[in-house]
Amino acid sequence: MITRGPRQLLAEVQQPGLCIGCGSCVELCPYFRSHGGKTVMLHDCDLAEGRCHAWCPKTELDLEGLAQTLWGRPYPAQGMGPHLAVVAAKAGPRLESGSYQGGGTVSALVCAALDEGLVQGAVLTGGQGLQTAPRLAATPEEVIACAGSRFTAAPTLAALNRAQAQGCGSVAVVATPCQAAALAQRRAKPWPQRGAAGPAELVIGLFCNWSLDPQGLASFLAQRVEPREIRSMDIPPPPAGVLKVETGQGSLEIPLDEIRGLIPPACGLCPDMTSEWADLAVGMYEGRPGWNTLVVRNEKARALTEAAVEKGWLVMEKFPAANQEHLLQAAQGKRSRGLSAALAQGLLGGPGDDQPKALRVGSELYKAVENGEVA
Amino acid sequence: MEGQRLTMMGNQAITQGALEAGVRVAAGYPGTPSSEIIQNLAGAADEHGLYVEWSINEKVSLEVAAAASLAGLRSLCAMKQNGVNVASDFLLHLAGSGVRAGMVLVHCDDPGALSSVNEGESRHFARMLELPLLEPSDFQEAKDMTKWAFELSEEIGNLVMLRSVTRLSHASGGVVPGPIPAPGGQARFDHHGSPRDLRHGPVSSAPVGYKHRLQQEKLKRAVELFEDSPFNSYVGPESPELLVITSSICNLYVKEALALLDARDRVGVLKLGTTWPLPPKLLQRHLQRCEQVLVVEEVIPFLEENVKIAAAEMAGEIGAKKFFGKREGTLPAQGELNPDLVLKALAGILDLPYQARPAQYDRLAQELAPQATQDRELAFCPGCPHRASFWSLKEALALDDRDGFICGDIGCYSLAMRPSGYGLLKTLHAMGSGAGMASGFGQLGRFGMDQPVMAVSGDSTFYHAVIPALINAVHQKSPMSLVVLDNSGTAMTGFQPHPGTEANALGQPVPPVDIEAICRSLGAEVTVCDPFDLKATQAAAVGLLADQSTAKVLILRQLCALSPQRKGTKPYEVRVDPEKCLGDQCGCNRLCTRVFGCPGLAWEKESGKARIDEVICAGCGVCASVCPQGAIIISEGA
Amino acid sequence: MAAAKLMHDPYNLIITGVGGQGNVLASRMLGNVLTSQGLWVTIGETFGASQRGGSVMSHLRVSEQGSWSPQIPAGKAHMVLALEPLEALRVLVKYGNPRAKAIVNSRPILPVAAIAGRTSYPATEELEGMLAQLTAQRWSIPATDRAMKLGASIFANIIMIGALAATGDLPVSREAFEAELRRALGHAKVAVNLEAYDLGVAMVGQ
Repeated sequence: MITRGPRQLLAEVQQPGLCIGCGSCVELCPYFRSHGGKTVMLHDCDLAEGRCHAWCPKTELDLEGLAQTLWGRPYPAQGMGPHLAVVAAKAGPRLESGSYQGGGTVSALVCAALDEGLVQGAVLTGGQGLQTAPRLAATPEEVIACAGSRFTAAPTLAALNRAQAQGCGSVAVVATPCQAAALAQRRAKPWPQRGAAGPAELVIGLFCNWSLDPQGLASFLAQRVEPREIRSMDIPPPPAGVLKVETGQGSLEIPLDEIRGLIPPACGLCPDMTSEWADLAVGMYEGRPGWNTLVVRNEKARALTEAAVEKGWLVMEKFPAANQEHLLQAAQGKRSRGLSAALAQGLLGGPGDDQPKALRVGSELYKAVENGEVA
Repeated sequence: MEGQRLTMMGNQAITQGALEAGVRVAAGYPGTPSSEIIQNLAGAADEHGLYVEWSINEKVSLEVAAAASLAGLRSLCAMKQNGVNVASDFLLHLAGSGVRAGMVLVHCDDPGALSSVNEGESRHFARMLELPLLEPSDFQEAKDMTKWAFELSEEIGNLVMLRSVTRLSHASGGVVPGPIPAPGGQARFDHHGSPRDLRHGPVSSAPVGYKHRLQQEKLKRAVELFEDSPFNSYVGPESPELLVITSSICNLYVKEALALLDARDRVGVLKLGTTWPLPPKLLQRHLQRCEQVLVVEEVIPFLEENVKIAAAEMAGEIGAKKFFGKREGTLPAQGELNPDLVLKALAGILDLPYQARPAQYDRLAQELAPQATQDRELAFCPGCPHRASFWSLKEALALDDRDGFICGDIGCYSLAMRPSGYGLLKTLHAMGSGAGMASGFGQLGRFGMDQPVMAVSGDSTFYHAVIPALINAVHQKSPMSLVVLDNSGTAMTGFQPHPGTEANALGQPVPPVDIEAICRSLGAEVTVCDPFDLKATQAAAVGLLADQSTAKVLILRQLCALSPQRKGTKPYEVRVDPEKCLGDQCGCNRLCTRVFGCPGLAWEKESGKARIDEVICAGCGVCASVCPQGAIIISEGA
Repeated sequence: MAAAKLMHDPYNLIITGVGGQGNVLASRMLGNVLTSQGLWVTIGETFGASQRGGSVMSHLRVSEQGSWSPQIPAGKAHMVLALEPLEALRVLVKYGNPRAKAIVNSRPILPVAAIAGRTSYPATEELEGMLAQLTAQRWSIPATDRAMKLGASIFANIIMIGALAATGDLPVSREAFEAELRRALGHAKVAVNLEAYDLGVAMVGQ
């Protein structure tokens, strides 16, 4: 796992347009700042190595190295990441009904983690319409205020950095797969000598196929609706194929094909749909409105879900095998597309080549991708 | 002091000459190297009964001085070389109309651009506008010639130009002052005569045919006087091998070079003080002395070309000459001269060896040079508000992330083209040009340009030339942002008052003209910030960049660290807490010294941490906002 | 007043330092003191933009005959009065010669490029060594440090003038200097400035 400095970060991530604005590099030092959905560098910095580069999810993501370090085994060609169980879940009776997308499972898990004292605070994405911003929530009320979906990534990890710098030691993060990958980088490459910033105590991942470039989406929508009127956005389950924008004047449906151009190039290289690097992962439950799919990935996660059910935060049911198969195929599809795209663009690294790439895998998997066997 | 030799700065000698001539009104606009002339006259105003003003710009200053002349009072106007360009439209018409009481325009060129962003030549205005030109060559002459310039002006009824250069204006040497007439004088503008009556009629350059002919007759009269002027002199053998023709401070360089070469018996020196129009008879007498001529002068080959034209016209009498100078490369075509450059030219022509110092020492010096004589980049002073302003503008442009840029103009803040201002200025031309160019860049969105544009201007510059550009931008709805760096004085040239200050050149109270009110009255959106508040300034600048609808103004107001009110005082005592500063272990990568770059900061080699140099620190406290660890501690009441 | 005898005519003195050190003030005061002794003094200076943290030089030509070029020719300095050690070296490299002397204020002022880490300022011993090679005689004095004890770094100028007077190269008498102080600064500041002058004299020794 290679670590370089900020100049290389610019060359490898910013300049090729791969930055997804997660905020991992922001507020670690005075040089990087999030602004208008982008991460910008304010001044030149010539350090040879930095956390900005080490922890970025879009510098070379050494999948093989991370898997060996964090999972204790190779990064596999197949699957949806380590997990103990996949269940159906929704918010329990202790959560009043809110404007959740799906079943409110994320809010329920965060509330439970706060309630159990597992974490002191949780970093969520808040804000309305296009004005998304990370929030640090310390109570269930604050968690509920952040509920709902956004389709542009926020500099969530900048809020984690800020919370840690201010002495909030254990933090839960609700993360997209790329943000979960950034947090995996932190666990694999700790850097305690430069202050408090580091891994999150709990990572609640989200399922994600792609996101939209914030500035691109803003100017796209500005041509169709008054930006200040936007209340919420949603992409209903297939076969709808639209982005639904709720405004003060009613709702607007935009065919997904029209906004595909706003998907950042980095999403095309992403092999992870189900936040494989997170402790738990939450997504839609296709065909069962009001419920979520919940992937419980490790023992810490299992303990949390059990406590959440016991305390009435969460309700869980069995997830049908057929749906699980469908989920696995979808996850596999994204993994295959991401790895193949990286290979096609010369951004897939194998063992023994030391040029910085986007993704790095073990030799067997590399060969399998080359031979088109990962499908 | 009368009669006793003093050491005077060239500009002071010019002032003394004007006082001895009985000057009554003086006006100018500050500009190095001319500023001390008006400054000194303002200082002498009370004692000698003068009216002196710092005008809003050079053109107005010339108009103010001309009014006095037309009302029968001797007047002087002073400016730097490019100031003449600003004044030139009026100058053209004044040259055509003529003046009444003696009027002198002192224009100070800056060969080598020691304090300019141009190496402009102002002598050609004399030829172009048909006015007589004088060039003093030492300090005594600067005084004597200025005094005589007023007499010449009255004799011919037209303005006289007197050109100085930095190395004369800002150098000092021996001058014996003479008596200064008692205060007095009655002003009255006589305008009841015929338009053709130069002393009593209305004053204009029209009727043009008539006035132009008169103007040229005045110039002919000047040439007659120049033929016998004591300011033209010859030193050297009767028949030298080489005739040097020179003027201005170059005369002292020639004198020095000939002494070092021990060649005074081989070379004759014709020093000219009256350089336009050249007196032909005098020139012919000296050109006849020998076949080779070297012309030594700075900036463009003005004298050289005029001598060559004269020599061609009298070729029948004097024969063909071989000329050396700038045109064939004996002397460099750019940059200022000095004794060494003149010496090199002379040694080449005369084929003389010269060694300034033993070769062994010279070698040693050359070996040591590169190791230790690194350039001292010019930098904003410690405590300068501009550093803080440009810091925030830099961050705002980075946050905006659309490759925006800043158009600059003339003032201390021109340094922002250099590392001290983070290299932010991307255009730099004349006074007010930043705003004008930004007004133009702002219109290019229709051609696909998506970079936001800002302009910066100082407070004095704002009045001088920015107002028309801003009106243009507002009226044309150009989406540009003007940032006025208001440090409450003409800082670059030594805190001369301007229309925004509460006292004039004479120290009398005057109503300050408010920049903010002017901008608002034009309909521009105006924000005012203290640049020492980095957060607020950055937020304001980000807002300006985001709004691309129209022209906007941000006024960043904070006193110059060298201003009389601020100098020598420290608003804060500043120190680095060595416990809090993580030094080389911090992820900041020496943000305070490496990037912010205030000269009052230092990076201690031994501890690997930041330190304040208490001798240099001006106590502005801005670095405390820059340090991400809060390790720079400021406390009030130092 | 009869002119004092000079060891060289013109005697070429360069006062050098960094913008803001008060170089111009020192050269003016010295020029006036020498003028009051009946000598011709020509001073070449630059100011304006060049003062903003840049190298600032004043060239003094002292003569019994008349004005000289305000720029001293290369290799012809007799004495360098340096308010900053790196500036002493810069001047000697261009204007020095085997007979040149120098009085050097030992406190460095780092160029902004050195503060920023783009260049490095030479070590004290290295710089001293180079200065030694380029001078016939040299005094290194802690003028700024002593000036701070007097209350302000700007007194370093006056200490340097005292040091120059003590070399005996130029006729800078205490009486003439005191008269110039009185003329230029008024009575109130004479005592502390004379104290600075005397400190400078003592640092070089009679």
